[in-house]
Amino acid sequence: MTDILLIIFAITLVFMSIANRLGTYVNILFLQGLLLFGISFIELKEINTLNLAFILLETVIFKTIAVPFFMRYVIKRNKITREAEPYLPNFVSLVIVTSIIILTYLLSKTIQDPLLNKIYFVVALSALFTGLYIIMTRRKVITHVMGYLVIENGVFILSIAVGSEIPMLINTGILLDLFVSIFLLGIFINKIGDVLKDVDVGQLKQLKD
Amino acid sequence: MLSFGLIWITSLFFTGIVNRVKSIASGRKGPGIFQPIKDIIRLWKKGSVYSRTTGFIFQVAPSIYFASIILAILIIPLGRYRGVISFDGDFVFFAYVLAAGKFFSIISALDTGSSFEGMGASREALFSMLAEPAFFVLMGSLALLTGYTSFHEIFIHLQSGSLISHTLGILAAFVLVMIAMIENSRMPFDDPKTHLELTMIHEVMILDNSGFDLGLILYATNLKFSLYGALIANLFVDALPWYITIPVFFVVQVLFASVAGILESFSARFRMGHNAQFIFTLTSVSLLIFFGVLLAIGKFN
Amino acid sequence: MIIAYIVISFLIGVALFVNRNRIINYSLVSLFSVLQWVFILYLYHHRGQDATGYFNADSLAILMLITSGIIIPPAFYYSYIYFKIKKDQPRERGMYFSAMVVLAAAISAAYLANHIALMWVFVELTTLSAAALVYHRRNVRSLEGTWKYFFVSSISITLVFIGILFLTIALQQEGFTDLTYPALKKNASSLNGFWLRLTFIFIFTGYTAKMGLVPMHTVGIDAKDKAPSPAGALFSSIVMNMGFVGIFRVYEIISRTPLKEWADTILLVSAVLSIFVAAVYMMSVKNMKRMFAYSSIEHMGIAMLGIAAGGIGYYAALLHLVLHAITKSSLFFQMGQVYRIYNSKSLYDTGNYLKYNLTGAMVILLAFICGTAMPPSGLFVTEFMIFRSLFESHHFIFLAVILLLLTMIIWAFGKSIFRLLFTPAAGFNEAGMGKINPFESVPQLILLGAVIYLGINPPVQLVELINESVKYISY
Repeated sequence: MTDILLIIFAITLVFMSIANRLGTYVNILFLQGLLLFGISFIELKEINTLNLAFILLETVIFKTIAVPFFMRYVIKRNKITREAEPYLPNFVSLVIVTSIIILTYLLSKTIQDPLLNKIYFVVALSALFTGLYIIMTRRKVITHVMGYLVIENGVFILSIAVGSEIPMLINTGILLDLFVSIFLLGIFINKIGDVLKDVDVGQLKQLKD
Repeated sequence: MLSFGLIWITSLFFTGIVNRVKSIASGRKGPGIFQPIKDIIRLWKKGSVYSRTTGFIFQVAPSIYFASIILAILIIPLGRYRGVISFDGDFVFFAYVLAAGKFFSIISALDTGSSFEGMGASREALFSMLAEPAFFVLMGSLALLTGYTSFHEIFIHLQSGSLISHTLGILAAFVLVMIAMIENSRMPFDDPKTHLELTMIHEVMILDNSGFDLGLILYATNLKFSLYGALIANLFVDALPWYITIPVFFVVQVLFASVAGILESFSARFRMGHNAQFIFTLTSVSLLIFFGVLLAIGKFN
Repeated sequence: MIIAYIVISFLIGVALFVNRNRIINYSLVSLFSVLQWVFILYLYHHRGQDATGYFNADSLAILMLITSGIIIPPAFYYSYIYFKIKKDQPRERGMYFSAMVVLAAAISAAYLANHIALMWVFVELTTLSAAALVYHRRNVRSLEGTWKYFFVSSISITLVFIGILFLTIALQQEGFTDLTYPALKKNASSLNGFWLRLTFIFIFTGYTAKMGLVPMHTVGIDAKDKAPSPAGALFSSIVMNMGFVGIFRVYEIISRTPLKEWADTILLVSAVLSIFVAAVYMMSVKNMKRMFAYSSIEHMGIAMLGIAAGGIGYYAALLHLVLHAITKSSLFFQMGQVYRIYNSKSLYDTGNYLKYNLTGAMVILLAFICGTAMPPSGLFVTEFMIFRSLFESHHFIFLAVILLLLTMIIWAFGKSIFRLLFTPAAGFNEAGMGKINPFESVPQLILLGAVIYLGINPPVQLVELINESVKYISY
């Protein structure tokens, strides 16, 4: 069952690469949060209840509800234009994201490890590289943050695969996620919105050589 | 033979349901569900007018197009009942028979010498080309999952699997619905109701066809719809006896028609430039289905 | 002791943040400097005793701590001058000092961390406090610098976390769970090569953001440019050393496995690319702080070359890092004075510095000699040793390329420095010029003197510390 959820997660990455509107990105992040909730619920049943509750709350309340809600709020408050404005055509993004998934799959073929569930590895690395790709090819600050959140989701998947025996690592990862996301979203984007007229990386381009 | 008959029956009212759903969604009563087939019969009673600039290809193409669809329908099985034609690797034959028909409709559009029709033909060719890998990756994955290469065997053995193969079936149905939308030039890829030649794809190709030929082409579209509906229905009917299979078949067809109608009512057509990438997404999705299949048969690790 | 130090430091940080009174602020800061030195001396005499806990005062940590102990008090002193002249809001001053104390404490803790995930936590903490320092001026450009710094640092810190996860996979395969460095070093040879490779690549890429090597080198440039000069001095010295410690500890893990050569290649390529990037940008850059930042990238590349080449290079690389930290921080401190005279960091607005501030000009000249590794600078000695190790390990082509690039860097650096010192400044109005007390430059001169002295005649204790630090990899 987690396999299916992970495959659907990978499909969301594909759709994220061709999303035109910021709203679509937010919806995809919402869906990813739900998928992560399902995955962690099924996968981590054995670990102690308190820890499990923490992880599930993080996925549901934070990833699924708070972040998308806050994203919408930021988009509305700062009157960000709704297009994602990629530097590259979406078709190229699609081909690149697809090849990222294929390449990580091929990479996973070289591992000889009976203990590791490789689909976690493939999906997590794909999410990581897709996130980096989105950050590199989108113009707006808010899409950069979304790319970062995709990376975080990938890290979360990887830490579930690894950390069912070391819950400490999962918790550390989650705390990083919470901390950085709150900092980026809450303080920064709002600050940037106060100082600048439009939250666009174009205005953050004065520092260069 | 069962599937052929059922597909033929469905084709009589399929577009009617789509139109009816659209009417209801927009608050109208709408025509009866047999209205489209009545229009087609009316067209069949008429003679054709041929432009002096066209050659014989323009005259034979509609018939070949229609024949290719009929041939493709003959391949479709239903549950435990084979199609009329069934052999190993018939899904490849299926795809290329359809492609051959499409090829003739494209060259007949080019034959008219109209720049609009040439434009439509080029778009149709591009989108079919992009949809093709999705279909083959999908069918290839299903073949890999079941270990058989004919439609009949694949569909019979598909449902015997576990939870994962059911879920893969749902994902496959999603891809097939989208492919059907592309192949039939419906929303969100193409708007059959549009009146602007610049934004048409399929409609612009048949501007010069009239009378009997036009009727053939329109009816072929109906057949094609119910053909894809039958394929999707096959994903969900097991090797069950006929008194279960046939109701399931009709339920799936009606659902499919309603989904198509709802999709057309509530979604806007894509910008022409976005079509290509969206169609290619289907290939990516089927690739992921392929990975899912690898997982299911334990070859992933 | 270490935990007590961290707790006290954070308490001082909080107190600085809450407090508005200037005298209390400065006495707290002095208290922290004293605490830092007491702590360092205590650890120096008790080093290497507790190898199993979460913290371990090994030689590398002590070495880096001593370096930071040398740099932090002058950084506080120049911050004090900065605030005396700028007359800032008490709230901003409190925040600045609080961030600086937390930064220093987090860096010390990261040096000392004996657990790979714990080190990661403290590195994350330095990102936060450094971001507060970069944002100090609160204008659009510093906002941009902070945004870039924080965002890219967050991504790189995530990469490090992924690297740790891969390491955990490798450990779980063999049934280990211990993530402390000594245990990792002990078990490294039995781990799966594939996971170790991924671990090394991810952790290396992640920490290059802190250290300032090629894949993520852009992070530090804007931060050093936009932060006030004393903070810039910390960024280009002890923060970079922290990145090095992060990389070095993973390198130690990998150095006893068959992957060592592969890791060396990665370090080598990254180092050469860093020097290349630094050379290219130093030729064109007109903002002096950014030029110094690129020069730091060059020096980090040279230090990494020493590690990659091995042999005498290990020793030279560590000494190089220490000396570079001292040199570059004094250069940044001096930049504060330059900025006060010209109100600009651009080469176009500055000139004739020798005439306006003689002692400052001497500092710049001396720092230029040290920074480009000319004799009698200590960096000359270390660079020479690093080139020797490259020669001994038969990297002739790399050596030739690097010597060429270094020549370009010396030319570019020299051109700008001499322009600052001797050419008359265009359109500069002497009337409104700030006055500089010559004694302000004395700490910088002492630091630069130390660079020369330590290079020519390193004390026995220093040599001993460095040799102990590289003992594990240079068997």
